[in-house]
Amino acid sequence: MKLKNAYFTRRKFLNSILGGWLGVVVVSFISPIVKFVWPPYKEPDEVQLALTDYSSMQPGDVKNFAWGNKPGLLKRVADGSFIAWVGVCSHLDCNVTWLPEKKQFYCACHVGWYDENGTNISGPPPKPLRRLEVAVEGEDLFVRKPGAGAKA
Amino acid sequence: MKIDMKKFAAWFDERLALTPIFKYMTKKEVPQHGHSIWYYTGSSILLFLVIQIVTGIMLAFYYQPTLDGANASIARIMTELPLGWLIRSIHSWSATFMIAIVMIHMVASMLTKSYRKPREATWMTGMMLIVVSMVFGFTGYLLPWDDLSLSATKVGTNIPAAIPVVGKWVTQFLRGGDDVTGDTLTRFFIFHVCILPLVIFAILILHILLVQKEGMSVPLKDEVAKRRVPVLPFWPNFVLREVIIWLVLLGTVLTVSLVFAPSLGLSADLMAPAPEGVKPEWYFLFLFQTLKIFPANMGPVTGEFVAVVIILIGIMAVFFLPFIDNKPETKKGRVITYLSILGVIYAIVFSIWSLL
Repeated sequence: MKLKNAYFTRRKFLNSILGGWLGVVVVSFISPIVKFVWPPYKEPDEVQLALTDYSSMQPGDVKNFAWGNKPGLLKRVADGSFIAWVGVCSHLDCNVTWLPEKKQFYCACHVGWYDENGTNISGPPPKPLRRLEVAVEGEDLFVRKPGAGAKA
Repeated sequence: MKIDMKKFAAWFDERLALTPIFKYMTKKEVPQHGHSIWYYTGSSILLFLVIQIVTGIMLAFYYQPTLDGANASIARIMTELPLGWLIRSIHSWSATFMIAIVMIHMVASMLTKSYRKPREATWMTGMMLIVVSMVFGFTGYLLPWDDLSLSATKVGTNIPAAIPVVGKWVTQFLRGGDDVTGDTLTRFFIFHVCILPLVIFAILILHILLVQKEGMSVPLKDEVAKRRVPVLPFWPNFVLREVIIWLVLLGTVLTVSLVFAPSLGLSADLMAPAPEGVKPEWYFLFLFQTLKIFPANMGPVTGEFVAVVIILIGIMAVFFLPFIDNKPETKKGRVITYLSILGVIYAIVFSIWSLL
């Protein structure tokens, strides 16, 4: 039934109310589903390592540590301090390895090379290895995301 | 008590009304011409799909999609369970056969131009089925959870991240986080055994209904000349030939599975360096090689981004091929045929190149 001067019929009005309401109900479920499916797990802001595990390293040595769910690479430099990288290739995320005899980092997936400072020198990697900050605090070694800062 | 089968059948037919379907099957005719052989590829794909379902369910009875359980449970399937190694081998080989015949099915439709009006939707559902089949392969590849499959998955799930804005989300969705972890494994298992089967069935039903609705495509030159090609009854003549092909394929896949059973690497370690020789399944090799030839950086963007965009444009072009090739009998149509052949040659050459 369409009233005089009405833009639409009563049926169309009721259909829109019902349809619109159903649409809103469906949409309201999207947010919790998306939140559940895209998990909150991100990589850590910092990891804490025992200094004793790494104090025997000579300058130039590289050792692995766990940066969340992927490897981190810790290197001792000439002045005795440490520098660290995330141990995954900047190309397609494969885990890289340190080749001491060549003094280079190597990614086997697509033959990518980085020099001892983590700079990409050959192969497909578009960027250097991602740097992390290292701080020695007492008996602990803290590896942090750049800019994450010290936690009190 | 004697059961009257006729009455029994009539009782069912009264309720389910299946007679028209049987009638359709007995009346259906398959054209006979120089390209008829490609008609058999469709049912061969179905054969391998059924093998995948049966062996897949069997494997899933014992497989454990967890960080600690995955590799060990496959080792158990292969060493402790009766014929478990063979079931896994058949599942792996039948996947390869299925994808191979899917590719042949697609190339045949492309070169005979059976995607032309009114079969555009049949072609597009077919393209979706190829993509779903390849995602099946990609997710299944991770499940043994060894070094090679872990690295291949890291690479594969990182590729969408090259696309600005949405890419990172896709990668996080696939991985269940920023990194490939045990959650990724569980997720891939659920894609592989729950989500993808639902999707493939939905599209497959549509694809098969569309084929029935439009009937079999005849060669372009016969259609243009409005020539009547000879036909073969679907039942029983065509089905008999299909069954013969099924038995040959079944024998082949069983033989290959027996002789070349896949091995199982050591359980993957998330912290270990990537092993040498990381390669995806053979049907991804041409994409893998395409990614590889691009330089690290191309001006302001990474080579990876350019490669991904080119690949996406290529996929879109093939998906919308019926609309691009809208006048197949003209000169434009012939040019597109040559481009299609070029595309096939590219895929073959790049696949072989990646193995060198």
